[in-house]
Amino acid sequence: MSIVAETGAAPLTRWAASNLRSIASIIVILGAWELAARLKFAPALFLPAMTTVIATLADLIRDGSLPLDLAVSLYRAFAGLALAMLIGVGLGIAMARSRWLRWLFDPLIALGFPSPKIAFIPIFILWFGIDSTSKILLVAFACVFQMVIATYHAASSVNRIVIWSALSLGSSRGRLMMRVILPACFPRIFAALRVAVPVALITTFTCEMVAGGGGMGATLMYAQRFFESPTVYAYIVAMLTVGLLLDSAILVLKEHFPAWRDEGSS
Amino acid sequence: MDLRLLDRHGLSGTAIVAMRVLAALRILAPIILFLLLWQSLGSFHLVDTAFLPTPVLIGRALGDLLTGHEIRDNISVTLVRAFTGLGLAIVTGAWLGVGMARSPVFRSYVSPLVGATYSLPKTALVPLLILWFGIGNTMAIVAVYLSALLPVVVHTYHGVMATPPVLVWSAEALGTSRRKLLWQIFLPHALPDIFTGIRIALGFAFVVALSAEMIASTAGIGRLIFLYGENGSYDYMFAAVVSVVLVAFIADRALLGVGTWCLRWHASAVDVEQ
Repeated sequence: MSIVAETGAAPLTRWAASNLRSIASIIVILGAWELAARLKFAPALFLPAMTTVIATLADLIRDGSLPLDLAVSLYRAFAGLALAMLIGVGLGIAMARSRWLRWLFDPLIALGFPSPKIAFIPIFILWFGIDSTSKILLVAFACVFQMVIATYHAASSVNRIVIWSALSLGSSRGRLMMRVILPACFPRIFAALRVAVPVALITTFTCEMVAGGGGMGATLMYAQRFFESPTVYAYIVAMLTVGLLLDSAILVLKEHFPAWRDEGSS
Repeated sequence: MDLRLLDRHGLSGTAIVAMRVLAALRILAPIILFLLLWQSLGSFHLVDTAFLPTPVLIGRALGDLLTGHEIRDNISVTLVRAFTGLGLAIVTGAWLGVGMARSPVFRSYVSPLVGATYSLPKTALVPLLILWFGIGNTMAIVAVYLSALLPVVVHTYHGVMATPPVLVWSAEALGTSRRKLLWQIFLPHALPDIFTGIRIALGFAFVVALSAEMIASTAGIGRLIFLYGENGSYDYMFAAVVSVVLVAFIADRALLGVGTWCLRWHASAVDVEQ
């Protein structure tokens, strides 16, 4: 957008041309979808028409069932994410400050980080039941490693001179933490958050698909079992939109809070 | 690093071996400590072993499973699904990434699709794929493929885009053909990024393969874990989860090893010695 404002007509046409292609590509795909469905290339069970899906989506939003499911899912995802952030940031900073904690947790995190956390669903169901608790905790478990690692790396690379200066000027340990170390960690924590949000969404939806208990994933599975294809498509479109909106929300936050931006390569 | 320095100073072989063992112990000690703590929870009846089987019980179950066919067969099913999908994703993803970086026209057609689908939680597609392909290998492989594709595309694209123009100009000035330019300049330069993308895709591949099996499947380790849970044989369920964690860890480390070996010529290999 700024490109257009800065220079003259030639970049403007180029910008329009490249965006025309992008718009065209989306229109072509949506058109092909509609056409394939209308011409019965595939049975409506497999491929309902785009217009049908949009109508279903509007109905689902109007009768309040989709917003309700979405609220349940988002609550679970964000509760888990918040928990992961609290534990992850705390543990990450503690590990950066204490050699013992680093020694103790390093191998456990190295083992836990690459493991597919979704495999733990049955264990979490066994311990915490099939309601929200098990899902929130699994989301936290899925996201916490990312948070610990990012915070640990950020906190252990805080410039020592800054810490020494603060200490020599008489900062207490608490103030040092709140005013020096945490702010220095913000960019990395924020970058980790951007990775963790989709993970939290995927984990929530998958948990709901596997274990039920309401939410977007559970309704999606339910619709699939009863072959209500338009509902299946509508829910997938809704999930896609939520993912996109959350990601752009994070980008907007990043724009508005320069302190959260990573100065180096992102 | 330390070991190599010692070697240079002419330390005996046994001393080096002893130091290696000590270093390994230093890493393993917390895990052993953790297992002991866990064991004592069950042994002193602080926690019901029905809900948290002790490591000894799980180990016994794991041994039992490993001697039988159950885990081996099911893990191989899951691995075949995960790696087939991942392999297809790497090939097409690298191709798409290079195409997007090299051709602005192609990029402007494809980038809205990549942008729109990047943040879709890929497991949401599993019910849809069940509708299309039924329950089985095809559904799982397609789900893995779709989820592993985008990280490879995006990282390849960034890697190729970051190629210094000087390299390209030099190669062109020396008469390199366009095809050779791809293999000798762009792909080697993008290789570290491609490996990063593959590593992310590997994680996705496991998650999606397991999720697909947990949601609907007749075979695979995800299904097996659930089966044990439903039957109430929790020590076997934990053993199966442990085996998944170990397999994922080994696969990740193996990929890291291959990446380091492939990139031993690269500038990043000089500094990173961990």
